[in-house]
Amino acid sequence: MSEVDPRGSADAVPALVVENVTTRIGPLTILDGLSLELRAGEVVTVLGANGAGKTTLLRTIAGLYPPRQGHIRLFGESIEGRPAHEITRAGIGHVPSGRELFPRLSVADHLELGGRLSPPARRAELRARMLAMFPVLGRRLGQRAGTLSGGEQQMLAIARALMTDPRVLLLDEPSTGLAPKIVLSVFQTFPMLREQGVSILLAEQSLTLGLTAADRAYVVDQGRIVLSGAAAQLAEDHRVVDTYLGR
Amino acid sequence: MLALQILVNGLLLGGLYVLIAQSLNLIFGVMGVVNLAHGAFIVVAGLFTYWFASSTGINPLAALPFVFIVMALVGAGLQPLLVEPLMKMGRSKAELLSLMVTFGLDYVLVELALQVWGSSFVSVPYLQSSWKFAGLDFSQALVVSGVFAALVSALLYWWLNRTDSGKSLLAASQSETGAICCGIDVKRVRMLAFALGVALAAAAGVLVIIVEALAPQTADDLTLLAFVIIALGGLGSYVGVAVAALLLGVAQSVTGYFVGGNAEYVLPYVLLILVMVALPGRFRRA
Amino acid sequence: MIAAAVLLAVFVAIPLRSRGYLLQLGTDTLSAVTLAYGWNLIGGFAGYFSFGQVSFYGLGAYATALLVLRAHMPWYFAALVSGLVGAAAALLLGRIMLRLRGILFALGMLGLARILEVIFNNWHYAGASVGLSLPAVLTPVAVYVGMGLLALISFCITAYFVYSGFGLDVMSLNEDEDAALSVGVPTTRVKVIAFILSGALPAVAGGLTAWNHSYIDPTSAFDPGVDLLTVVYVMFGGIGTLWGPLIGAVVLMIVGEEFLVYFPNLELALYGIVVIATVLAFPGGLVGLANRFGWLMRPIILAPKGLPAGAPPERAPAHGTQPVLEVRDLTVRFGGLTAVDRVSLSVARGETVCIIGANGAGKTTFFNAITGVVQPTSGEILYFGQPISHLPTFRRAQRGMARSFQIPRLMPSFTVWENVLLASRHGRQSHRVVEHTAWVLHTMGFAGMWRDPVSRLTPGFQRQLEFARVLALSPELVMLDEVMAGMTREEQEQVRGVIRRLPEFGIAGVACVEHVIAAVADLCDRMVVLDFGRKIAEGPSAEVLKDPVVVRAYLGEPI
Repeated sequence: MSEVDPRGSADAVPALVVENVTTRIGPLTILDGLSLELRAGEVVTVLGANGAGKTTLLRTIAGLYPPRQGHIRLFGESIEGRPAHEITRAGIGHVPSGRELFPRLSVADHLELGGRLSPPARRAELRARMLAMFPVLGRRLGQRAGTLSGGEQQMLAIARALMTDPRVLLLDEPSTGLAPKIVLSVFQTFPMLREQGVSILLAEQSLTLGLTAADRAYVVDQGRIVLSGAAAQLAEDHRVVDTYLGR
Repeated sequence: MLALQILVNGLLLGGLYVLIAQSLNLIFGVMGVVNLAHGAFIVVAGLFTYWFASSTGINPLAALPFVFIVMALVGAGLQPLLVEPLMKMGRSKAELLSLMVTFGLDYVLVELALQVWGSSFVSVPYLQSSWKFAGLDFSQALVVSGVFAALVSALLYWWLNRTDSGKSLLAASQSETGAICCGIDVKRVRMLAFALGVALAAAAGVLVIIVEALAPQTADDLTLLAFVIIALGGLGSYVGVAVAALLLGVAQSVTGYFVGGNAEYVLPYVLLILVMVALPGRFRRA
Repeated sequence: MIAAAVLLAVFVAIPLRSRGYLLQLGTDTLSAVTLAYGWNLIGGFAGYFSFGQVSFYGLGAYATALLVLRAHMPWYFAALVSGLVGAAAALLLGRIMLRLRGILFALGMLGLARILEVIFNNWHYAGASVGLSLPAVLTPVAVYVGMGLLALISFCITAYFVYSGFGLDVMSLNEDEDAALSVGVPTTRVKVIAFILSGALPAVAGGLTAWNHSYIDPTSAFDPGVDLLTVVYVMFGGIGTLWGPLIGAVVLMIVGEEFLVYFPNLELALYGIVVIATVLAFPGGLVGLANRFGWLMRPIILAPKGLPAGAPPERAPAHGTQPVLEVRDLTVRFGGLTAVDRVSLSVARGETVCIIGANGAGKTTFFNAITGVVQPTSGEILYFGQPISHLPTFRRAQRGMARSFQIPRLMPSFTVWENVLLASRHGRQSHRVVEHTAWVLHTMGFAGMWRDPVSRLTPGFQRQLEFARVLALSPELVMLDEVMAGMTREEQEQVRGVIRRLPEFGIAGVACVEHVIAAVADLCDRMVVLDFGRKIAEGPSAEVLKDPVVVRAYLGEPI
């Protein structure tokens, strides 16, 4: 893990720091002293086979599971242990696994609910930006979320999270159930988000997809980081494949 | 023409039922809690209205806003005290224990009502004549309360679908995680839902006592009636419940006319058992 | 012993001292005790809250009255028959109502009481809304003695629940009904039996009360207030305990008599507050408080003084030469989604087969179809050559198909001993439960903690206990669902040790679903890979893990 200097580049506070976090579900230890860092403006992927703890990591950061120990800092501000909705308000947007849309509410309602905390002017600005980024949602504004296709639902979940005007976006396996082409079109929005000052932490099972989009990546296995480095470098590293297949 | 009268009366009754059921549904949708004190809130509000109208001589409908606000405050006070502590215990345990707690609350309210108003059936003498239209009779009281109930329900739908706080409530009932992802404080939404559910039950009580005589001991029947309707309409579904309420109103109006006797009062229970036996899947949350 | 002597002395003293007020209070208290014990059987032990047990009380009252008035039966005979009427009603209703869980059961029962009230209000043969007057053939003392006997019987039934293996079955419903099914508990039969007993007791009590009041009508016979009082006694005394209903009923009856005279007519309101306060502040009731000091603890069911040495299982005759498990073209569809698409799998004798695959590949659904938790849309499942698709989950477990769960699903408030005993009772060594349970506990390293509650075990031992429960069934096929997830390296090593030893225990085949491939790759003879519900590869693990199709499924399609 030599690539990650905990102090990062000296000039900036990291967007998100996860430090030695342990999370348990019932009797099981799902995250086991996990640490990682996301610098401002970065796209970082958390890779790992299913059951490795990626979803639990994102849910712990978002406040849906209280960590047993460890610290989570957003731009230097400690957020662990706060109620989940306050963590959203503090600037963490979460696109959860399973998307968690409101099946009987319209696309427009989702955008509005996401933007409900921003002042009206900012809300309108964000909304316009979402419709520019995901033109297909603009054509479906009145439609219920439950009737959208899988790709559209994923875009809506991302748009809803972005409407909260986050500084860090957590994306949980956006590729689930989507054709790779559609996933790529989702990933193509990342540069735009980066320009808007949003840092992205992406959890992804698919190695190829996960590494395409990211600057850096961490590989998680059984609740711990086992490898990390620049995306290009990890793509060449056979140890990543070995971790996946337990070799 | 007679068919029309039966239909209209049924729809008006159904309008009242929409309000009775929707208020229970609201709480269930957000919390998964069936409030067994639901009928008690209806009865207490109804009997209060009776006392208010008969002792002051003022139009009973004037009590509606007052009752609504007071009961909303009561609900907002009771929820964090009695129901919220159970929410930490996990879904299935919370469901059962909240049943126990609201069962206790039901008796507290009913007994207090018995103390204050006694056990005899009373109703407000208001609009006792009927409108004649095309040779048919329409009870004025039923028309007024049915229309008012429909108005209040429409207001609820408007609030749920058009306002920020209403949408937050719908969102929290459809996906709690999703609501949290929007920064919604789900705990506050639960309190809001309970307060509103109790207030709407109370509003229903004001309208029911204009049409039908109430006594404290009818509380459980009203709770069961509301539960039957939301079970038929689909737990947590607002449109389904409204349709079920209207249909039940019409069905009761029809059986009341053609079968008579107690048939119309037994109907909801028969439907309850039928639904339970035939469609157990209906009882899952929508 | 002392408690029993005191109770007996009080019971005898009351009719000697008084024929009036005190005798009536005694009769009412005994009736309350009976109702509380009756409710506790289904609501406390099985965890099915009923707000309509008064239905049985009312039915019993009417049955007795009608049998005596219309059929001219002697009263004691009528009391017995009304108990049978209650039992029969419970049997009939139980099959319908007990399919519902939680709120629905509770509300269904509440509705049922109202339906009965309406029926009796309109039934002229039974006096309709006016009710029936009963001739005074019974002296108050006879009613008192009868009620005393009934209370004693209800205490004995409850004691049977607390001391017997059957009681353990009933309590397992309240702990985790699905896990109970997976260890072979015939849950439907168990809860219907509990419901029948729970219906018969109030029916007889209702009959005796009818005589005592010499009058019954629908409103008082089906009064939901009776259920409130019953629930109050049980909750206040301690739900799901042997002494709770007795203590709750006696304390509240006496306190009620002394205290409530100052609050006439507010009795039910105060009891409502007692229920609310109990649930929120001390959910275990008085017995729960006593338990904190180690008093009135529930005994560990069928536990010997010390852990016996136990004996290894007797070998059951072999099932011929067929493979342990053979699944042919299994398909499972949920609505439009095909979760498992024509997957075949066989597990030969002595084989360990591991199923792997990415998220949503259909592994768990496939597993659930084999154990009977979900119904396959098509395909065949053969167990030693016999088709088993029609068998419910618990029958499959009884025949020797045992499974573990992704997150261990032990019975949380049982002890280690009871968790294993529950499975032993329904497995293939059920004729020698205690020896087998003891043997399993020794073998799995629980000898030093066999009396401990599950909550005191470390995660590793909880997983280990689930294995012990699997072995308690004395199975031939073991199905493991992601047993390595969330385990530390040391714990995984422990689990691997157990899997290696499975053949020693007479287990003919092992099938497992696993994410942590590293932990099982060397343990399994064969690996099967699922992707989007289809089988995409099968073979020895070293080969399968090199297969480019598998690598792609795991790592994602190249772009």
